[in-house]
Amino acid sequence: MSDQDKDPVVHSSLSKQLFIWSALLVLSMAWGLYDEVYGTRPWKGYEARFEKLYSKYLANARLGETAFEKQIRSSAEYQKMDREMQAAEKAAMPEASAIDKKVNEDLVPKILALNDPFQIVRAHIGSLTYEIEVSKSESSKDSLRKEIEELKNEVQKVSIPGEPKPREMKFSEMDDQLKKWKDEKAQLLQKRVEIMKQATELRAKRDQYLSDRLPEASAETIGLVQNSLANFDIKIRQIHVKDVDLVDRCESCHLGTREPVTLTAAHMGGEAVFASHPDKELLKIHDPELFGCTPCHGGNGVALSSVEKAHGYNKYWLWPLHHKENIEAGCQQCHVKEIVTEDANTLNAGREIFRLRGCMGCHRYEGFDRETDEITSVSQQIRSLEQQKAEWIRDAGFDEQKANDPRTKDADARKLNLEANDLKVRSSGLDAKMEQLDMRSHELIREVKKVGPSLKEARMKLHKEWIPVWLKDPHAWREGTKMPTFRLDDGEIRAIGAFIWQSGLTGELPQQKPGDAEKGKEAFETRGCMACHSMEEGSKKFGGTFAANLSREGEKANYDYIVRWVHNPRQRTAPYCTFEKRDLSKADYDKHNLPYVFDLEHSKCPNDGHELQVQQMTPMPSLRLTEDEARDIATYLMTRKRDNATYANADYLDDPSLKNKGLGLVRNYGCAGCHEISGLEEEQRIGTELTKEGSKPIERLDFALLGHKAEDEGWETHKGFFEHKLQDPAIYDTGKEKAKQDRLKMPNFNFSKTEIDAVDTFLEGSVDASVPQRYFYAPTDQRQDIIDGWWVVRKYNCMGCHRVHVAQTTTFDTIPRYQDPDWKDQKPPTLIGEGARVRPDWLMHFLNNPALSENDTNRDGVRQYLKVRMPTFSFSDGEIRKLVRFFEALSSQAQPFIAEELEPLTDQERVMARQLFSSEGAPCLKCHMTGDPKHDVRATAPNFTVAKERLKPGWTKRWMLDPAMMSPGTAMPSGLFRHEDNRWVFAGPTPPSFNGYPKDHADLLVRYMFQFTPEELGRLRSAGAGN
Amino acid sequence: MKKIWMGIGVVCAVSLVSCGGGGTEAPKADAGGGAAAPAAGGAGAVPDEANGATITGKVMFDGTAPKEKTIDMSAVPACTRAHANAPAKSEEVIVNDNKTVKYAFVWIKSGLPEGTTWKVPSTPVMLDQNGCMYKPHVIGIMAGQNIEVKNSDPTNHNIHPSPTVNQEWNESQPPGSEDKMKTFARQEVMIPVKCNVHNWMRSYIGVVSHPFFAVTGDDGSFTIKGLPPGTYTLEVWHEKYGTQDQTITVGAKESKTQDFTIKG
Repeated sequence: MSDQDKDPVVHSSLSKQLFIWSALLVLSMAWGLYDEVYGTRPWKGYEARFEKLYSKYLANARLGETAFEKQIRSSAEYQKMDREMQAAEKAAMPEASAIDKKVNEDLVPKILALNDPFQIVRAHIGSLTYEIEVSKSESSKDSLRKEIEELKNEVQKVSIPGEPKPREMKFSEMDDQLKKWKDEKAQLLQKRVEIMKQATELRAKRDQYLSDRLPEASAETIGLVQNSLANFDIKIRQIHVKDVDLVDRCESCHLGTREPVTLTAAHMGGEAVFASHPDKELLKIHDPELFGCTPCHGGNGVALSSVEKAHGYNKYWLWPLHHKENIEAGCQQCHVKEIVTEDANTLNAGREIFRLRGCMGCHRYEGFDRETDEITSVSQQIRSLEQQKAEWIRDAGFDEQKANDPRTKDADARKLNLEANDLKVRSSGLDAKMEQLDMRSHELIREVKKVGPSLKEARMKLHKEWIPVWLKDPHAWREGTKMPTFRLDDGEIRAIGAFIWQSGLTGELPQQKPGDAEKGKEAFETRGCMACHSMEEGSKKFGGTFAANLSREGEKANYDYIVRWVHNPRQRTAPYCTFEKRDLSKADYDKHNLPYVFDLEHSKCPNDGHELQVQQMTPMPSLRLTEDEARDIATYLMTRKRDNATYANADYLDDPSLKNKGLGLVRNYGCAGCHEISGLEEEQRIGTELTKEGSKPIERLDFALLGHKAEDEGWETHKGFFEHKLQDPAIYDTGKEKAKQDRLKMPNFNFSKTEIDAVDTFLEGSVDASVPQRYFYAPTDQRQDIIDGWWVVRKYNCMGCHRVHVAQTTTFDTIPRYQDPDWKDQKPPTLIGEGARVRPDWLMHFLNNPALSENDTNRDGVRQYLKVRMPTFSFSDGEIRKLVRFFEALSSQAQPFIAEELEPLTDQERVMARQLFSSEGAPCLKCHMTGDPKHDVRATAPNFTVAKERLKPGWTKRWMLDPAMMSPGTAMPSGLFRHEDNRWVFAGPTPPSFNGYPKDHADLLVRYMFQFTPEELGRLRSAGAGN
Repeated sequence: MKKIWMGIGVVCAVSLVSCGGGGTEAPKADAGGGAAAPAAGGAGAVPDEANGATITGKVMFDGTAPKEKTIDMSAVPACTRAHANAPAKSEEVIVNDNKTVKYAFVWIKSGLPEGTTWKVPSTPVMLDQNGCMYKPHVIGIMAGQNIEVKNSDPTNHNIHPSPTVNQEWNESQPPGSEDKMKTFARQEVMIPVKCNVHNWMRSYIGVVSHPFFAVTGDDGSFTIKGLPPGTYTLEVWHEKYGTQDQTITVGAKESKTQDFTIKG
């Protein structure tokens, strides 16, 4: 072996290692390249796929659309419009092209030719003027001024196109000439617009005709999109809202979101990621360029590296993308002041459950406890105003004192006296303010309601034996009830029952004679009870969900009490003094020699003058039924029971030794959150505040022993926490060793999946907002009235009877009886457009007194022919104001209201209108009430003789012309008038007096109705109206 | 490690795929949405009376016929005058002399071949307001077929159908005004019709998407002709007594009888 052989360079080759390493290098480079291009940029793949799928879809869509479009374009109507447009264009063309010629070939070149020399001189003058302004010495200023004069007088040679030799012009001449030409040009162009006007309008009409008939994008739009798609770039698409530092790159993958052509997953090969935003209207209100995506939807808008990260589903991201079933959670953070947000039905349902099922009895949520919050704020305001007033009066005193001081100069004394007077006047203004607040504070007591019934009345209302059965499992006794099931053992049930029974009031109830159950059933089903209450169980259940199901009422309640309750649910057994914090007895009144009378007119405490709670804290209104009818309904309710129901003896409820334990438990479980209970009227809430629960850091949500399980199963999120808790409120006690009183107290509401979704949506949306304050929906115009009004509308369940907004059904729409055409006309009226229909002063009066009568209250003030009846809610003035402003705002009515002046009727017109109203051909008074009892027996429509107090004339005319437009399905027929020679004329035969009458017939009838007098009513009746 | 394999995979893939650019797919014409609503007088199948099957039958009444109710029109003299000789009777239940029921609506509820569009007759069906009653009390039409609404009375009527799947309307028809042509676009059995001015007036319209229906008359019989062979659900509807179904199979050119019995 030579030395050479021993040299490792010769005998051992490194090429193998080198190959491997270089191969690895190439591979890692390739990997690096891949990662750079696609691996960390999955959106690129999305964009490529989008382009492909979209182009394919557009090509197909275009074929379909063009065929349909062609059909429209070849229709006779379109052709006619097209011909008209072409003809107009052709007619206008000679003149228009003459103008074009004059402008383009004469004026424009001239203006251009003159403009240059003129601008040069003007600029020169400008610079010299500036020099004058900055120069310091007067002499140089003068010389500069001289220079400008010279410049102005200098003659310029300007060659104007079309003129043989150049003109010699001074600066002012050039200026004048230029202005003249420019004016001429402007005038000609204006004239051109006039000439072409007809053709332009016809073209717009023709194009509108086409777009009105194409439900989808036209071939033209598709073509435009196709062109832009030809230049499709693969790039990050982001919305950057600078002032709030928001960057959302969602559209890098969700490319179809704002496409003009509506895309669905089916269009895009099943890829839902490319679908268009499902609600274009919503995007118009919330322009993504201003709002971005994540403020509504959640997610991490900047992240692009994976779907999980972009959607914010990594563990510590506080605002993850809302799931589809909770998509409206995003509305809540900005629409936090509302109980009803338009188009957010799931969220609205969640809020409603939170309010109606009593969640707010235990959990504070800012804005939900409106009345109590307002009581606090009003009394604070009154205190601070009192202070302010005292200060001003004192200062005024000081001023006067000083003014009276002989050492003070006259001028100063006058000034001080004036100042003192100003202070006095201003403090008298505070008196007015305080007076308002004081009135408000009194009515607020009336506005506070409780979710559940008063337990002070339990002893008078309930069968003793029923109480323990109910407490054990309310849902087993009455399916779907608001009362949740608490985790109580038998001992606790006995104690709670005993406390409630023994703390109940023992008032006197008059003994009632029995009523007629059959009549009662009819009344219950037709008077309006069913707008809130339901009857029957299981699949046979029908009626409203706002209040209790009464299928088993006969098993639990005392007849005499129910008669009182049905007759007037607000009647209390004893008034409660908010100052002394106790129920008053007859003895309190006797002490002051006062009768034991307490109602809305007698609501002051005899002991200390403070406002009393004189009503039951229930939203249930009075239907103004007679005592007989109340007895009939109560009798019917007493028949509502299961045949085989038996209840064990419960005499232990009288055992005084149980009472104290019961009190402790009632406190512990927070019963007073929903019920009025003796001695616990001022109890505080026992639950966590939930206003910001949706963005509470995840580690502060107590999953207890289920943390690991939640993590493994992927529900260690806010959504997961809420859903599991709502499904089983005791779930986080699983496996815990706890003393009874330490266990989780939240009871089980037996929520359905839909209800859990709704509540979860509401809670997920209850966040410390990630957007700045200015995004919040806090309108300062009439829309604020709408927000406030909805709280009152929901509070009293107006929507059980009335349609308040479109896309809403009432309870009556679901009741079998009301499907019959005759019963359909017995439904309560729709309130869509109510603000445009009725006068606000009338509405105020009506809401306060729906009978529209002080004496005859056993009726409905407007529609006496309806079996159902607008009840008396005993609204406070504040609530009435909110409701009236709500309806006015919904109809965009100007405030305050000023009645429209109508042209006076001539005697001749009055005769004509009367003849028409009472003629055989006009059906008006066949249906409408006139106030004549004999006639009204058969009436099926409101009293037209009170129209002027109730209605607005503009609305009345629109209603007469096309009632179906405002209220589809109304009993009032359309087609009563036909349009003829620019006016409306009655479609039926008119009395001979109408011959030659040139005016609008609908206007005539409106003017007649709005200038109606009692004398005219007499004349109309004797003319045989309505027979 | 995972990334290395990914890298290898990429290299392999690069070497295999020469260059991108897949084949372009030829655009396919989309067949378009659902079947278009039949237009009156437009194209469509016609019952084949020569080769099709015929179902005839009677709607029998079992029990004592209820007494026909007298309608109180006294509030409206224009209506009372039309019934000067005998007071108007309610047509809710009319039992014929042969113990059959008038104004029962019989129709093929299901079983017809899917996808067939039936020709809509171009002749309208008359619904007359005469003597403040609807004449006839029950009518059947095809979806898209015209109803000619007539007012023969000297008083104003309004015609107000309350459909559930069709659009509701309510139009005034003054005396002496032109007849109204109205249609319903969708099948609906039955649509009640009322007049809000004269609350006793009631009529029913059966709207069917095919021509196989009949209304029983004074002899309580019905005939449905030209049915394709097949098995059908035949339904009878009565204003007061509700509906009944029968399943019936017919062959080509076959005639079958299928009676119904309504229990009073």
